[in-house]
Amino acid sequence: MSAAVTVRALRRRYGERVVIEGLDLRIETGEFVAMLGESGCGKTTLLRALAGLDPVDGGRIDGPAQPAVVFQEHRLLPWAPLWQNVALGIETPEAKPQAVAALREVGLAGRENDWPRNLSGGQSQRVALARALVREPRLLLLDEPFAALDALTRIKMHALIKDLVARHRPGVLLVTHDVDEAIAIADRILVMRAGRIAASYDVAAETEAGSDRLRGKLLGELGVTLHDRAA
Amino acid sequence: MAIDLSTRAPRTVPSGYRAGHLARGPRSWSARELLVLSWLAPLLFALAWEAVCRFGGMNEQVMPAPSAVLATAWTLVKDGSLFVHLGYSLLRAATGFLIGGGIGFGLGLIVGFSRLAEALLDRSIQMIRAIPFLALLPLVIVWFGVDEAGKIFLVSLGVLFPIYINTVLGIRQVDPKLLEVAKVTGLSLRGRITKIILPGAMPSILTGVRYALAVAWLALVIAETIATTKGIGFLAMDAREFLQTNVIVLTIVIYAAIGVIADGIARALERRLLAWHPNYAREERR
Repeated sequence: MSAAVTVRALRRRYGERVVIEGLDLRIETGEFVAMLGESGCGKTTLLRALAGLDPVDGGRIDGPAQPAVVFQEHRLLPWAPLWQNVALGIETPEAKPQAVAALREVGLAGRENDWPRNLSGGQSQRVALARALVREPRLLLLDEPFAALDALTRIKMHALIKDLVARHRPGVLLVTHDVDEAIAIADRILVMRAGRIAASYDVAAETEAGSDRLRGKLLGELGVTLHDRAA
Repeated sequence: MAIDLSTRAPRTVPSGYRAGHLARGPRSWSARELLVLSWLAPLLFALAWEAVCRFGGMNEQVMPAPSAVLATAWTLVKDGSLFVHLGYSLLRAATGFLIGGGIGFGLGLIVGFSRLAEALLDRSIQMIRAIPFLALLPLVIVWFGVDEAGKIFLVSLGVLFPIYINTVLGIRQVDPKLLEVAKVTGLSLRGRITKIILPGAMPSILTGVRYALAVAWLALVIAETIATTKGIGFLAMDAREFLQTNVIVLTIVIYAAIGVIADGIARALERRLLAWHPNYAREERR
Protein backbone atom coordinates (compact mmCIF):
# COMPACT_ATOMS: atom_id res chain seq x y z
CA MET A 1 0.00 0.00 0.00
CA SER A 2 1.14 3.52 -0.63
CA ALA A 3 0.99 6.15 2.08
CA ALA A 4 -1.33 9.12 1.76
CA VAL A 5 0.75 10.87 4.38
CA THR A 6 3.70 10.03 6.61
CA VAL A 7 4.61 12.04 9.68
CA ARG A 8 7.89 11.58 11.54
CA ALA A 9 8.96 13.05 14.88
CA LEU A 10 6.57 15.98 14.57
CA ARG A 11 6.99 18.72 17.15
CA ARG A 12 4.88 21.82 17.78
CA ARG A 13 5.12 24.35 20.59
CA TYR A 14 3.11 27.40 21.55
CA GLY A 15 5.69 29.50 23.39
CA GLU A 16 6.87 27.35 26.30
CA ARG A 17 4.05 24.85 26.06
CA VAL A 18 4.75 21.73 23.99
CA VAL A 19 1.60 20.61 22.20
CA ILE A 20 2.96 17.86 19.97
CA GLU A 21 6.19 16.00 20.76
CA GLY A 22 7.78 13.24 18.69
CA LEU A 23 4.61 12.20 16.90
CA ASP A 24 4.78 9.51 14.21
CA LEU A 25 1.85 8.71 11.95
CA ARG A 26 1.25 6.95 8.67
CA ILE A 27 -2.07 6.92 6.85
CA GLU A 28 -2.46 4.62 3.84
CA THR A 29 -4.28 5.52 0.66
CA GLY A 30 -7.95 4.65 1.13
CA GLU A 31 -7.54 4.21 4.88
CA PHE A 32 -9.99 5.91 7.24
CA VAL A 33 -8.26 6.91 10.47
CA ALA A 34 -10.11 8.51 13.37
CA MET A 35 -8.25 10.42 16.04
CA LEU A 36 -9.76 10.61 19.51
CA GLY A 37 -8.47 12.63 22.39
CA GLU A 38 -9.50 14.97 25.14
CA SER A 39 -9.72 18.69 24.44
CA GLY A 40 -6.27 20.25 24.33
CA CYS A 41 -4.45 16.99 23.58
CA GLY A 42 -3.10 18.40 20.33
CA LYS A 43 -5.30 16.60 17.81
CA THR A 44 -6.62 19.75 16.14
CA THR A 45 -3.09 21.17 16.15
CA LEU A 46 -1.94 18.05 14.30
CA LEU A 47 -4.70 18.40 11.73
CA ARG A 48 -3.94 22.07 11.14
CA ALA A 49 -0.25 21.26 10.72
CA LEU A 50 -1.11 18.57 8.14
CA ALA A 51 -3.38 21.06 6.35
CA GLY A 52 -0.55 23.57 6.12
CA LEU A 53 -2.52 26.10 8.16
CA ASP A 54 -0.06 26.19 11.08
CA PRO A 55 3.73 25.90 11.00
CA VAL A 56 5.61 23.07 12.74
CA ASP A 57 8.69 23.36 14.93
CA GLY A 58 10.35 20.11 14.01
CA GLY A 59 9.96 16.76 12.26
CA ARG A 60 8.80 15.84 8.79
CA ILE A 61 5.50 15.64 6.97
CA ASP A 62 5.56 13.75 3.65
CA GLY A 63 2.23 14.14 1.96
CA PRO A 64 0.35 16.03 -0.70
CA ALA A 65 1.10 19.75 -0.91
CA GLN A 66 -2.56 20.54 -0.48
CA PRO A 67 -4.80 18.14 1.38
CA ALA A 68 -8.53 18.83 1.35
CA VAL A 69 -10.08 19.98 4.62
CA VAL A 70 -13.61 19.97 6.03
CA PHE A 71 -14.00 22.10 9.15
CA GLN A 72 -16.49 21.92 11.98
CA GLU A 73 -18.35 24.86 10.45
CA HIS A 74 -19.24 24.61 6.77
CA ARG A 75 -17.37 27.82 5.95
CA LEU A 76 -19.24 28.42 2.70
CA LEU A 77 -18.97 31.83 1.05
CA PRO A 78 -22.43 33.35 1.56
CA TRP A 79 -22.09 35.48 -1.59
CA ALA A 80 -21.31 32.62 -3.96
CA PRO A 81 -23.82 30.12 -5.34
CA LEU A 82 -23.19 26.52 -4.34
CA TRP A 83 -21.32 25.46 -7.47
CA GLN A 84 -18.87 28.37 -7.08
CA ASN A 85 -18.30 27.38 -3.49
CA VAL A 86 -17.52 23.83 -4.54
CA ALA A 87 -15.29 24.92 -7.44
CA LEU A 88 -13.36 27.44 -5.33
CA GLY A 89 -9.73 27.51 -6.41
CA ILE A 90 -10.30 25.32 -9.50
CA GLU A 91 -9.52 27.45 -12.52
CA THR A 92 -10.16 25.10 -15.43
CA PRO A 93 -13.09 25.28 -17.86
CA GLU A 94 -14.42 22.04 -16.35
CA ALA A 95 -14.80 23.65 -12.92
CA LYS A 96 -18.57 24.03 -13.18
CA PRO A 97 -19.46 20.57 -14.53
CA GLN A 98 -17.15 19.04 -11.93
CA ALA A 99 -18.79 21.04 -9.16
CA VAL A 100 -22.27 20.07 -10.36
CA ALA A 101 -21.25 16.42 -10.40
CA ALA A 102 -19.78 16.67 -6.90
CA LEU A 103 -22.99 18.26 -5.62
CA ARG A 104 -25.00 15.44 -7.19
CA GLU A 105 -22.73 12.96 -5.43
CA VAL A 106 -23.51 14.43 -2.01
CA GLY A 107 -27.24 14.40 -2.74
CA LEU A 108 -27.68 18.02 -3.81
CA ALA A 109 -28.41 17.52 -7.50
CA GLY A 110 -29.90 20.58 -9.19
CA ARG A 111 -29.04 22.93 -6.34
CA GLU A 112 -25.88 24.33 -7.99
CA ASN A 113 -27.27 27.86 -8.40
CA ASP A 114 -28.84 28.08 -4.95
CA TRP A 115 -27.44 30.31 -2.18
CA PRO A 116 -25.84 28.86 0.97
CA ARG A 117 -28.37 30.67 3.17
CA ASN A 118 -31.15 28.43 1.82
CA LEU A 119 -29.48 25.28 3.16
CA SER A 120 -29.87 23.43 6.46
CA GLY A 121 -26.83 22.66 8.60
CA GLY A 122 -26.53 19.14 7.22
CA GLN A 123 -26.90 20.30 3.63
CA SER A 124 -24.24 22.98 4.14
CA GLN A 125 -21.84 20.36 5.46
CA ARG A 126 -22.60 18.21 2.40
CA VAL A 127 -21.52 21.12 0.21
CA ALA A 128 -18.33 21.43 2.26
CA LEU A 129 -17.72 17.71 1.60
CA ALA A 130 -18.31 18.24 -2.11
CA ARG A 131 -15.85 21.14 -2.04
CA ALA A 132 -13.23 18.86 -0.49
CA LEU A 133 -13.82 15.83 -2.76
CA VAL A 134 -14.11 17.66 -6.09
CA ARG A 135 -10.32 18.08 -5.91
CA GLU A 136 -9.82 14.28 -5.74
CA PRO A 137 -7.46 14.73 -2.77
CA ARG A 138 -4.90 12.11 -1.76
CA LEU A 139 -5.47 13.14 1.84
CA LEU A 140 -8.75 14.30 3.35
CA LEU A 141 -8.71 16.01 6.75
CA LEU A 142 -11.95 16.19 8.73
CA ASP A 143 -11.98 18.45 11.80
CA GLU A 144 -15.07 17.37 13.78
CA PRO A 145 -17.21 17.99 10.70
CA PHE A 146 -20.39 16.48 12.15
CA ALA A 147 -20.15 17.84 15.69
CA ALA A 148 -22.65 20.63 15.12
CA LEU A 149 -25.30 18.44 13.46
CA ASP A 150 -28.30 16.80 15.09
CA ALA A 151 -28.10 13.08 15.86
CA LEU A 152 -30.21 11.86 12.92
CA THR A 153 -28.42 14.05 10.38
CA ARG A 154 -25.12 12.84 11.80
CA ILE A 155 -26.01 9.19 11.17
CA LYS A 156 -26.91 10.00 7.57
CA MET A 157 -23.65 11.89 7.15
CA HIS A 158 -21.68 8.90 8.49
CA ALA A 159 -23.16 6.69 5.79
CA LEU A 160 -22.47 9.34 3.14
CA ILE A 161 -18.84 9.92 4.11
CA LYS A 162 -18.11 6.17 4.27
CA ASP A 163 -19.57 5.75 0.83
CA LEU A 164 -17.66 8.72 -0.62
CA VAL A 165 -14.34 7.62 0.86
CA ALA A 166 -14.82 4.08 -0.47
CA ARG A 167 -15.37 5.53 -3.94
CA HIS A 168 -12.64 8.20 -4.03
CA ARG A 169 -10.16 6.36 -1.79
CA PRO A 170 -8.28 9.26 -0.19
CA GLY A 171 -6.43 8.68 3.05
CA VAL A 172 -8.64 10.19 5.76
CA LEU A 173 -7.85 11.67 9.13
CA LEU A 174 -10.99 12.38 11.15
CA VAL A 175 -10.56 14.33 14.37
CA THR A 176 -13.51 13.77 16.70
CA HIS A 177 -14.69 13.63 20.30
CA ASP A 178 -17.30 11.04 19.51
CA VAL A 179 -16.26 7.45 20.27
CA ASP A 180 -19.33 5.99 18.56
CA GLU A 181 -18.69 8.05 15.45
CA ALA A 182 -15.12 6.80 15.30
CA ILE A 183 -16.24 3.16 15.65
CA ALA A 184 -18.98 3.62 13.07
CA ILE A 185 -16.85 4.98 10.25
CA ALA A 186 -13.11 4.45 10.84
CA ASP A 187 -10.80 1.56 9.87
CA ARG A 188 -8.33 2.45 12.59
CA ILE A 189 -8.74 4.52 15.72
CA LEU A 190 -5.90 6.41 17.34
CA VAL A 191 -6.00 7.93 20.79
CA MET A 192 -3.87 11.00 21.29
CA ARG A 193 -2.61 12.04 24.70
CA ALA A 194 -0.11 14.70 25.74
CA GLY A 195 1.11 15.36 22.22
CA ARG A 196 1.67 11.73 21.21
CA ILE A 197 -0.30 8.82 19.87
CA ALA A 198 -0.99 6.74 22.97
CA ALA A 199 -2.97 3.87 21.49
CA SER A 200 -4.05 2.42 18.16
CA TYR A 201 -6.99 0.07 17.53
CA ASP A 202 -7.89 -1.83 14.38
CA VAL A 203 -11.65 -1.48 14.29
CA ALA A 204 -12.45 -4.63 12.25
CA ALA A 205 -10.36 -6.85 14.53
CA GLU A 206 -11.62 -5.30 17.76
CA THR A 207 -15.30 -5.42 16.87
CA GLU A 208 -15.56 -9.03 15.70
CA ALA A 209 -17.48 -9.83 18.85
CA GLY A 210 -19.47 -6.59 18.89
CA SER A 211 -18.40 -3.01 19.41
CA ASP A 212 -19.15 -2.66 23.14
CA ARG A 213 -15.75 -3.88 24.29
CA LEU A 214 -13.89 -1.46 21.99
CA ARG A 215 -16.19 1.32 23.07
CA GLY A 216 -15.39 0.63 26.72
CA LYS A 217 -11.65 0.51 26.03
CA LEU A 218 -11.70 3.78 24.12
CA LEU A 219 -13.73 5.53 26.80
CA GLY A 220 -11.23 4.21 29.33
CA GLU A 221 -8.37 5.67 27.29
CA LEU A 222 -10.17 9.01 27.37
CA GLY A 223 -10.58 8.85 31.15
CA VAL A 224 -14.28 7.99 31.21
CA THR A 225 -15.20 5.06 33.46
CA LEU A 226 -18.70 3.70 33.06
CA HIS A 227 -20.52 2.78 36.27
CA ASP A 228 -21.46 -0.77 35.29
CA ARG A 229 -17.87 -1.42 34.28
CA ALA A 230 -16.42 -0.02 37.45
CA ALA A 231 -18.64 -2.23 39.55
CA MET B 1 -45.60 53.78 -11.96
CA ALA B 2 -44.31 50.77 -13.83
CA ILE B 3 -43.42 48.65 -10.86
CA ASP B 4 -44.49 45.05 -10.56
CA LEU B 5 -46.61 45.36 -7.47
CA SER B 6 -47.59 41.74 -7.23
CA THR B 7 -44.16 40.69 -5.90
CA ARG B 8 -44.49 43.17 -3.11
CA ALA B 9 -47.96 42.27 -2.02
CA PRO B 10 -47.22 39.79 0.78
CA ARG B 11 -44.73 42.10 2.44
CA THR B 12 -46.43 45.46 2.51
CA VAL B 13 -49.20 44.31 4.79
CA PRO B 14 -47.70 42.97 8.01
CA SER B 15 -49.88 40.16 9.22
CA GLY B 16 -50.37 41.73 12.63
CA TYR B 17 -52.01 44.81 11.15
CA ARG B 18 -54.10 42.77 8.81
CA ALA B 19 -55.40 40.65 11.65
CA GLY B 20 -56.37 43.81 13.53
CA HIS B 21 -58.29 45.14 10.57
CA LEU B 22 -60.04 41.88 9.95
CA ALA B 23 -61.09 41.68 13.56
CA ARG B 24 -62.93 44.93 13.09
CA GLY B 25 -64.47 43.69 9.93
CA PRO B 26 -64.15 46.14 7.07
CA ARG B 27 -61.44 44.88 4.64
CA SER B 28 -57.74 44.42 4.05
CA TRP B 29 -55.91 46.83 1.78
CA SER B 30 -54.18 45.66 -1.37
CA ALA B 31 -50.61 46.72 -2.04
CA ARG B 32 -51.75 48.93 -4.91
CA GLU B 33 -54.25 50.74 -2.74
CA LEU B 34 -51.65 51.30 -0.05
CA LEU B 35 -49.23 52.70 -2.61
CA VAL B 36 -51.88 55.16 -3.79
CA LEU B 37 -52.66 56.08 -0.19
CA SER B 38 -48.99 56.72 0.56
CA TRP B 39 -49.03 59.50 -2.07
CA LEU B 40 -52.23 60.99 -0.68
CA ALA B 41 -50.61 63.03 2.11
CA PRO B 42 -47.97 64.75 -0.06
CA LEU B 43 -50.65 65.51 -2.65
CA LEU B 44 -53.00 67.00 -0.07
CA PHE B 45 -50.12 69.04 1.29
CA ALA B 46 -49.36 70.47 -2.15
CA LEU B 47 -53.03 71.28 -2.68
CA ALA B 48 -53.25 73.02 0.69
CA TRP B 49 -50.10 74.98 -0.12
CA GLU B 50 -51.60 76.05 -3.45
CA ALA B 51 -54.86 77.06 -1.77
CA VAL B 52 -53.10 79.17 0.88
CA CYS B 53 -51.10 80.96 -1.81
CA ARG B 54 -54.15 81.66 -3.99
CA PHE B 55 -56.81 82.49 -1.47
CA GLY B 56 -54.99 82.97 1.80
CA GLY B 57 -53.20 86.15 0.77
CA MET B 58 -49.70 84.62 1.07
CA ASN B 59 -47.12 87.01 -0.39
CA GLU B 60 -45.59 85.19 -3.37
CA GLN B 61 -42.22 86.82 -2.61
CA VAL B 62 -42.20 84.78 0.59
CA MET B 63 -43.60 81.50 -0.70
CA PRO B 64 -44.70 80.96 -4.29
CA ALA B 65 -47.50 78.53 -5.11
CA PRO B 66 -46.57 75.08 -6.48
CA SER B 67 -48.17 76.04 -9.76
CA ALA B 68 -45.91 79.09 -10.00
CA VAL B 69 -42.85 76.94 -9.33
CA LEU B 70 -43.98 74.48 -12.00
CA ALA B 71 -44.54 77.34 -14.45
CA THR B 72 -41.03 78.62 -13.75
CA ALA B 73 -39.62 75.14 -14.29
CA TRP B 74 -41.45 74.92 -17.60
CA THR B 75 -40.05 78.29 -18.74
CA LEU B 76 -36.50 77.20 -17.89
CA VAL B 77 -37.05 73.87 -19.62
CA LYS B 78 -38.33 75.60 -22.76
CA ASP B 79 -35.34 77.89 -23.14
CA GLY B 80 -33.06 74.95 -22.30
CA SER B 81 -31.23 76.74 -19.49
CA LEU B 82 -32.45 74.32 -16.82
CA PHE B 83 -30.67 71.43 -18.55
CA VAL B 84 -27.48 73.43 -18.95
CA HIS B 85 -27.38 74.25 -15.23
CA LEU B 86 -28.44 70.76 -14.21
CA GLY B 87 -25.82 69.30 -16.54
CA TYR B 88 -23.06 71.38 -14.96
CA SER B 89 -24.10 70.42 -11.45
CA LEU B 90 -24.36 66.71 -12.27
CA LEU B 91 -21.03 66.77 -14.05
CA ARG B 92 -19.33 68.39 -11.02
CA ALA B 93 -20.91 65.93 -8.63
CA ALA B 94 -20.07 62.92 -10.81
CA THR B 95 -16.48 64.02 -11.44
CA GLY B 96 -15.91 64.81 -7.78
CA PHE B 97 -17.51 61.52 -6.75
CA LEU B 98 -15.38 59.50 -9.15
CA ILE B 99 -12.13 61.23 -8.16
CA GLY B 100 -12.78 61.27 -4.40
CA GLY B 101 -14.42 57.84 -4.42
CA GLY B 102 -11.60 56.39 -6.51
CA ILE B 103 -8.89 57.77 -4.23
CA GLY B 104 -10.81 56.77 -1.08
CA PHE B 105 -11.37 53.25 -2.39
CA GLY B 106 -7.76 52.91 -3.52
CA LEU B 107 -6.36 54.11 -0.20
CA GLY B 108 -8.88 51.92 1.60
CA LEU B 109 -7.70 48.84 -0.31
CA ILE B 110 -4.03 49.54 0.40
CA VAL B 111 -4.56 50.27 4.09
CA GLY B 112 -7.06 47.40 4.43
CA PHE B 113 -4.61 44.86 3.06
CA SER B 114 -1.37 46.07 4.56
CA ARG B 115 -0.58 46.81 8.19
CA LEU B 116 2.51 48.64 6.94
CA ALA B 117 0.41 50.95 4.77
CA GLU B 118 -1.90 51.46 7.74
CA ALA B 119 1.03 52.54 9.90
CA LEU B 120 2.27 54.90 7.20
CA LEU B 121 -1.01 56.42 6.01
CA ASP B 122 -3.92 55.94 8.36
CA ARG B 123 -2.98 58.49 11.01
CA SER B 124 -2.48 61.26 8.44
CA ILE B 125 -5.78 60.42 6.73
CA GLN B 126 -7.62 60.44 10.04
CA MET B 127 -6.08 63.82 10.91
CA ILE B 128 -7.25 65.36 7.65
CA ARG B 129 -10.63 63.75 8.17
CA ALA B 130 -10.99 65.62 11.46
CA ILE B 131 -11.21 68.89 9.53
CA PRO B 132 -14.80 69.76 8.62
CA PHE B 133 -14.16 69.83 4.91
CA LEU B 134 -16.43 72.84 4.36
CA ALA B 135 -14.08 74.85 6.61
CA LEU B 136 -11.53 74.54 3.80
CA LEU B 137 -13.74 76.62 1.51
CA PRO B 138 -11.72 79.91 1.83
CA LEU B 139 -8.48 78.02 1.28
CA VAL B 140 -9.92 76.22 -1.72
CA ILE B 141 -10.82 79.56 -3.29
CA VAL B 142 -7.25 80.80 -2.74
CA TRP B 143 -5.79 77.59 -4.20
CA PHE B 144 -8.05 76.98 -7.15
CA GLY B 145 -9.77 80.32 -7.69
CA VAL B 146 -13.46 80.12 -8.43
CA ASP B 147 -13.13 77.68 -11.34
CA GLU B 148 -14.43 74.15 -11.72
CA ALA B 149 -11.32 72.68 -10.08
CA GLY B 150 -12.12 74.12 -6.66
CA LYS B 151 -15.69 72.81 -6.72
CA ILE B 152 -14.64 69.35 -7.82
CA PHE B 153 -11.91 69.34 -5.20
CA LEU B 154 -14.43 70.10 -2.47
CA VAL B 155 -16.80 67.33 -3.59
CA SER B 156 -13.90 64.87 -3.90
CA LEU B 157 -12.68 65.68 -0.42
CA GLY B 158 -16.12 65.16 1.08
CA VAL B 159 -16.59 61.84 -0.71
CA LEU B 160 -13.11 60.46 -0.03
CA PHE B 161 -13.42 59.78 3.69
CA PRO B 162 -16.67 57.84 3.98
CA ILE B 163 -15.54 55.57 1.14
CA TYR B 164 -12.05 55.17 2.63
CA ILE B 165 -13.23 54.35 6.14
CA ASN B 166 -15.88 51.86 5.07
CA THR B 167 -13.54 50.12 2.63
CA VAL B 168 -10.88 49.60 5.31
CA LEU B 169 -13.51 48.48 7.81
CA GLY B 170 -15.11 46.09 5.31
CA ILE B 171 -11.80 44.45 4.43
CA ARG B 172 -10.79 44.08 8.06
CA GLN B 173 -14.11 42.48 8.94
CA VAL B 174 -13.77 39.64 6.43
CA ASP B 175 -13.98 36.36 8.34
CA PRO B 176 -10.45 34.91 8.82
CA LYS B 177 -12.03 31.44 8.70
CA LEU B 178 -12.97 32.06 5.07
CA LEU B 179 -9.37 33.04 4.34
CA GLU B 180 -8.31 29.65 5.72
CA VAL B 181 -10.69 28.06 3.24
CA ALA B 182 -8.93 30.05 0.51
CA LYS B 183 -5.65 28.56 1.69
CA VAL B 184 -6.80 24.93 1.75
CA THR B 185 -8.50 25.23 -1.64
CA GLY B 186 -5.33 26.68 -3.16
CA LEU B 187 -7.06 29.90 -4.23
CA SER B 188 -4.72 32.34 -5.99
CA LEU B 189 -4.05 35.79 -4.55
CA ARG B 190 -6.25 37.29 -7.24
CA GLY B 191 -9.03 34.84 -6.44
CA ARG B 192 -8.64 35.59 -2.75
CA ILE B 193 -9.20 39.30 -3.41
CA THR B 194 -12.00 39.02 -5.97
CA LYS B 195 -13.86 36.03 -4.52
CA ILE B 196 -13.48 36.49 -0.77
CA ILE B 197 -12.21 39.87 0.36
CA LEU B 198 -14.08 42.24 -1.96
CA PRO B 199 -17.47 40.47 -1.74
CA GLY B 200 -17.03 40.23 2.02
CA ALA B 201 -16.27 43.94 2.25
CA MET B 202 -19.07 44.93 -0.16
CA PRO B 203 -21.86 45.61 2.37
CA SER B 204 -19.60 48.02 4.21
CA ILE B 205 -18.30 49.65 1.01
CA LEU B 206 -21.85 50.25 -0.23
CA THR B 207 -22.79 51.86 3.08
CA GLY B 208 -19.88 54.21 2.40
CA VAL B 209 -21.12 54.88 -1.13
CA ARG B 210 -24.57 55.77 0.12
CA TYR B 211 -23.23 58.13 2.72
CA ALA B 212 -20.78 59.63 0.23
CA LEU B 213 -23.59 60.41 -2.20
CA ALA B 214 -25.28 62.53 0.45
CA VAL B 215 -22.01 64.28 1.28
CA ALA B 216 -21.33 64.93 -2.42
CA TRP B 217 -24.62 66.82 -2.70
CA LEU B 218 -23.95 68.85 0.41
CA ALA B 219 -20.49 69.79 -0.88
CA LEU B 220 -21.97 70.74 -4.23
CA VAL B 221 -24.61 73.03 -2.74
CA ILE B 222 -21.91 74.91 -0.85
CA ALA B 223 -19.37 74.89 -3.70
CA GLU B 224 -21.91 76.27 -6.15
CA THR B 225 -22.57 79.32 -4.01
CA ILE B 226 -19.02 80.52 -4.74
CA ALA B 227 -18.99 82.86 -7.73
CA THR B 228 -20.26 80.77 -10.60
CA THR B 229 -22.16 81.34 -13.78
CA LYS B 230 -23.46 77.82 -14.28
CA GLY B 231 -25.14 75.21 -12.13
CA ILE B 232 -28.19 74.79 -9.92
CA GLY B 233 -26.42 76.68 -7.14
CA PHE B 234 -25.84 79.60 -9.47
CA LEU B 235 -29.55 79.58 -10.35
CA ALA B 236 -30.40 79.90 -6.67
CA MET B 237 -27.85 82.66 -6.01
CA ASP B 238 -28.89 84.59 -9.09
CA ALA B 239 -32.56 84.28 -8.16
CA ARG B 240 -31.82 85.58 -4.68
CA GLU B 241 -30.31 88.75 -6.21
CA PHE B 242 -33.55 89.41 -8.05
CA LEU B 243 -35.89 88.07 -5.36
CA GLN B 244 -37.22 85.34 -7.67
CA THR B 245 -38.53 83.16 -4.89
CA ASN B 246 -40.12 80.70 -7.31
CA VAL B 247 -36.70 79.93 -8.83
CA ILE B 248 -35.18 79.51 -5.37
CA VAL B 249 -37.89 77.03 -4.42
CA LEU B 250 -37.42 75.25 -7.73
CA THR B 251 -33.69 74.76 -7.07
CA ILE B 252 -34.45 73.35 -3.64
CA VAL B 253 -36.93 70.92 -5.18
CA ILE B 254 -34.35 69.90 -7.77
CA TYR B 255 -31.70 69.24 -5.10
CA ALA B 256 -34.22 67.15 -3.19
CA ALA B 257 -35.23 65.19 -6.29
CA ILE B 258 -31.63 64.44 -7.19
CA GLY B 259 -30.97 63.34 -3.62
CA VAL B 260 -33.87 60.89 -3.84
CA ILE B 261 -32.64 59.59 -7.19
CA ALA B 262 -29.07 59.15 -5.88
CA ASP B 263 -30.41 57.20 -2.92
CA GLY B 264 -32.45 55.06 -5.29
CA ILE B 265 -29.32 54.28 -7.30
CA ALA B 266 -27.45 53.31 -4.13
CA ARG B 267 -30.30 51.00 -3.12
CA ALA B 268 -30.43 49.43 -6.55
CA LEU B 269 -26.69 48.76 -6.27
CA GLU B 270 -27.20 47.13 -2.89
CA ARG B 271 -30.00 44.93 -4.18
CA ARG B 272 -27.91 43.85 -7.11
CA LEU B 273 -24.53 43.36 -5.43
CA LEU B 274 -25.87 42.02 -2.14
CA ALA B 275 -28.48 39.64 -3.54
CA TRP B 276 -26.87 36.90 -1.43
CA HIS B 277 -27.32 38.87 1.78
CA PRO B 278 -30.42 37.99 3.84
CA ASN B 279 -31.02 41.68 4.67
CA TYR B 280 -31.12 42.71 1.03
CA ALA B 281 -32.47 39.50 -0.42
CA ARG B 282 -36.00 40.71 -1.09
CA GLU B 283 -37.24 44.10 -1.95
CA GLU B 284 -37.52 46.08 1.22
CA ARG B 285 -38.93 49.49 1.92
CA ARG B 286 -36.96 51.30 4.54
